[in-house]
Amino acid sequence: MITALIVDDELLARQALRRALEPEHDIQILGECGNAIEALARIQADKPDVVFLDIQMPQLTGLEMLAMIDAASMPHVVFLTAYDEYAVKAFEKNAFDYLLKPVTAERLALTLQRLRDSAGAVPQDYSVLPEAHQLRQIPCFIQHDVIFLKLDEIECVESRASGIYVSDTQGNERPTALRLNVLETRTPLLRCHRQFLVNLDQVQRLRYLEGGLAEFVMRRGRAIPISRRLLPEIKERLGIV
Amino acid sequence: MDLQAVFPLSVALLQQMCVYLAVAYVLSRTRLFIPLTRATIRWPHRIACYVVFSAFCIMGTLLGLPVESGNAIANTPAIGAVLGGLLGGPVVGLSVGITGGVHRYLLGGMFGLAAAVDIIVQGLAGGLMHRYLIGHGKARLLFSPLLAGSLTFVTILIELGIDLALSHPFSEALYLVSLIALPELIANTAGAAIFVAILLDRRDSIERQSRSFSAKALEIAAHLEGVLREGFDPENSQRVARIILDQTGVGAVGITDREKTLAYIGIGADHHMPGQPIHSPHTLQAIASNEVIFADGNEVPFQCSIAMSCRLGSALVIPLVGEKDHVIGTIELYEPKTRIFSTINRTLGEGIAKLLSAQILSGRYEQQKSLLLQSELKLLHAQVNPHFLFNTLNIIISVTHDDAARARALLTDLAVFLRKNLKRPTEDVTLADEIEHINAYLRIELARFADRLSVDIDIPPELMGIHLPAFTLQPLVENAIKHGTSRLIRAGYIAIRARHEDTAILLEVEDNAGLYQPEAHSDGLGMNIVDRRIRNRYGEAWGVTMHCEPNVSTLATVRLPTEPQKP
Repeated sequence: MITALIVDDELLARQALRRALEPEHDIQILGECGNAIEALARIQADKPDVVFLDIQMPQLTGLEMLAMIDAASMPHVVFLTAYDEYAVKAFEKNAFDYLLKPVTAERLALTLQRLRDSAGAVPQDYSVLPEAHQLRQIPCFIQHDVIFLKLDEIECVESRASGIYVSDTQGNERPTALRLNVLETRTPLLRCHRQFLVNLDQVQRLRYLEGGLAEFVMRRGRAIPISRRLLPEIKERLGIV
Repeated sequence: MDLQAVFPLSVALLQQMCVYLAVAYVLSRTRLFIPLTRATIRWPHRIACYVVFSAFCIMGTLLGLPVESGNAIANTPAIGAVLGGLLGGPVVGLSVGITGGVHRYLLGGMFGLAAAVDIIVQGLAGGLMHRYLIGHGKARLLFSPLLAGSLTFVTILIELGIDLALSHPFSEALYLVSLIALPELIANTAGAAIFVAILLDRRDSIERQSRSFSAKALEIAAHLEGVLREGFDPENSQRVARIILDQTGVGAVGITDREKTLAYIGIGADHHMPGQPIHSPHTLQAIASNEVIFADGNEVPFQCSIAMSCRLGSALVIPLVGEKDHVIGTIELYEPKTRIFSTINRTLGEGIAKLLSAQILSGRYEQQKSLLLQSELKLLHAQVNPHFLFNTLNIIISVTHDDAARARALLTDLAVFLRKNLKRPTEDVTLADEIEHINAYLRIELARFADRLSVDIDIPPELMGIHLPAFTLQPLVENAIKHGTSRLIRAGYIAIRARHEDTAILLEVEDNAGLYQPEAHSDGLGMNIVDRRIRNRYGEAWGVTMHCEPNVSTLATVRLPTEPQKP
């Protein structure tokens, strides 16, 4: 059984795809998402085998969303697009599967055949796609709303038992659904501790503590610990000998 | 007093005065006198004043009558000296006085020295009066004949006193003064008064002339206003030719473009027909050289190039100039052989040509501007189509399978939308029409954004009948979706409202996205066109204004006049 998630901002498009997939008995549709933020949460929670992913969506495109998924949760992706010439070229080049809207039954059958053939295989590396490589912004939650923080607005990111929290340069702290290791690989933020990523542009100084320990002091005055293990690497990165 | 001697002397001196004034009158018709008709502080004018009045002062002495073998001269240099001072000020007065005085002294005689001093005193007296009048804001009185006469009268009395005081022996001086007193008083007083009257007359005639010239020029300009802006064609040219003929009173007026006569009226209209190719060598020359050609019939011969029997005897041909000094046609003014071409009409003719050239230019500019707007509007329609059509077809395909009725309804909406879009952009529609257009559009978009867009339309029924240019609201609604709600993750909301406010009708389109960015909207072309079109049509007080509260709302407001003129 192949589990599938449908992600498209148009309701009618989702319904049409669901209708086309329903007769396939080996496909189990886990759900539908109307935007990339919802999709991100569902993918991390339900870990579907395949995601039918629309590219053109509000605020966060399908490609940007892929950059936010950690390798462990990465599903097979079938891209959906109406007219993104540029993206289609990239898919062709990397032999990624994609469906042009409107989706024809024959073309969908071919895609499903490929999915069945590659069942159990490791998904392809989608980070070669332009927007899927680096994050421009980090979605954070404020109550029921999502706001997008630009990278230069971020001071640090902290992992706690209750989740991942992003602190901005204004001193606000907001939860995000992104994992720390995703942020580490997809942004210039620097890992300085098991629980912390820090924006070096916001660091004011490096303070040495007793016992060979050290910490960053941020512009706003906050101290962020540096782990003993990472200190030599960071010093080298900062050019401190 | 020896009346036997005094009376003939008075008559003789008055006769001399007539010669003197005749010279003054003749000179007053020349440009030399123009500076004298104004009280002035400019040095070139003062120098002219000095030269003229010194000449008159000397002439007054020369035209004098010797009395008692040249011991005294009954004469009138006082007029030149007093008026020189009165009109030119103390410096000019004194200079004239000294010039005249030295001249008189050189002639000698028993009164020589006294007379020389007299003239200097008179010049100074005139100058002091000038200063007094200017200083007390009574400059108007400088040109009063009564004042000039009185002042001269008084200075003559002073003169006679000086003559008595400075000359020896006293008894002989008294006798000479008794002879010349009456003639000099009469002749100088009358002469000065009449001289000023001549100046006044000259000034009035200069002003009358320039007044009537400006009045005529302004009247022609008012009549011609805007005629050629609508196009340089035979019909408008005919109107212009009629106006020029009526206003200038020349014999005939013709207007040509570069090849043919567009309009002709007046003498010779029987053989100068509109539509004919240009015959006249003068006109061809004016077009080729971009110069005004004047054939007065004397120095430059003129003969009608079409008919030998033509009564026209002189012509003025002025080129009409368009962009980059390119000649686009000519205006021809003609006078018959029996009349002389007046200078005023020559000047007016050239002015008219300049005015018309400017009109033709601005007319072409406006035409191009409206053409540009039209093509941009066409673009606006074209802009709608490909993406919108594609998305719509995709939606319809996706519902066709299990909701045929829905698909049919959507196809109907698409048909309505396209039909409304086929309307010519220059047309006016009612607000009800425009709302129908928007509704067709919105039903399609609502199908597409089914679960994340809602729209409210609130138009009072009494406003449904107002007229507005087609495609006023639809681009704004499209904008609100394309650059607003479609970019939201949360649900989008659009409100479309209309209301009355004093003399304005306000149409509002508001979204809850607040993502409007003026500079980022290079592709929000539609809205700019809507705005410009309304401004062009109703004036700068009307149009589209945007108000954006970032991430909260964007409000587009269309202001229209309550009573838009129907086209």
